[in-house]
Amino acid sequence: MNCNKFEELLSAYQDNSLSPDEKKTFTDHMKLCSDCEAITEEVDHIKAILPELNRDVPFFLKNRLYLIGESDEEQAPVRNYAYLKWVAAGIGTMVLFLNLFYFTNIFPAANKTLHTAVAGVENFVVEAEAFIGRIKESNNLFIFKKTEVITKANKKKRDAKAKRKTIRGFKYG
Amino acid sequence: MLIDKYSRTVYNLAFNFCGCSDDANDLTQDIFIKIYKNIDKFDESFNISSWIIRISKNHCIDYWRKNKKNNFRIDLEDNLVRDENSPEDNLIKSGDLNKLREKILKLKPEVRSLLILRDIQNHSYQEIADSLNIPLGTVKSKINRARIQLAKLYEDR
Repeated sequence: MNCNKFEELLSAYQDNSLSPDEKKTFTDHMKLCSDCEAITEEVDHIKAILPELNRDVPFFLKNRLYLIGESDEEQAPVRNYAYLKWVAAGIGTMVLFLNLFYFTNIFPAANKTLHTAVAGVENFVVEAEAFIGRIKESNNLFIFKKTEVITKANKKKRDAKAKRKTIRGFKYG
Repeated sequence: MLIDKYSRTVYNLAFNFCGCSDDANDLTQDIFIKIYKNIDKFDESFNISSWIIRISKNHCIDYWRKNKKNNFRIDLEDNLVRDENSPEDNLIKSGDLNKLREKILKLKPEVRSLLILRDIQNHSYQEIADSLNIPLGTVKSKINRARIQLAKLYEDR
């Protein structure tokens, strides 16, 4: 047995899991090789003192850990809105490019399309305003004359109410 | 509760892995935050202890790679032994433990974690193999090599 093989079997020897033959070869080598004997003793020593490195969890840390557990139980699931920043960035970039194409002529096709689109929107707004103006003038639609319509519909009811008030006025006034 | 049962394992792994109590406190806290965040993903057919050990070990190694690769230190104050022996004995013992801790930090992170789990925390080889998803034979040979390497480093003190 050489020293490399000895080192390979060291833990198995210490765990007492070598076969009788291997064990004999191992101990024979240890008797002959002082380096391997020293290593074995050192490993034994280390194995004996390593458990002493174990220590208790500091009190304050344990309390902090309990707080993690509690806060986790109480917390509602957090929604992830990280994608919103990408949406905002996308919109920003789009607006930037639209401005660029609208106010400059670096890309004529886009410039023409944008101006056509803006002109279309402007026309639409003007026509819509004119339409609303016409409706207001016609004075017929209940959304603008709601109170009047209601008044007409309930005229009878209102008259009756007014009559009752007048009678009460005489009675208690 | 998870904290009562596993805080000692996690803390000792972190403490012996980085050698400094301040870092160990932060690491332990981070590991438990990670555990709570991922508890929904835990497959209940597996052993929770193995899962926690695996998370702790990976987190310690990540931390080491990010922060401590070239800049490790140990707190001597953290390792003072205060037991029933005489103050002189305690001082010698503290010196030995400090030396040992310092040498442990010189081991590669992977084998260091294995050694801590086996020889400091007394987990079985099988438990370690299951936790870290490594073949049993590999765990045994790595721990054997780690012990010999540590013994040689310790001998050179």
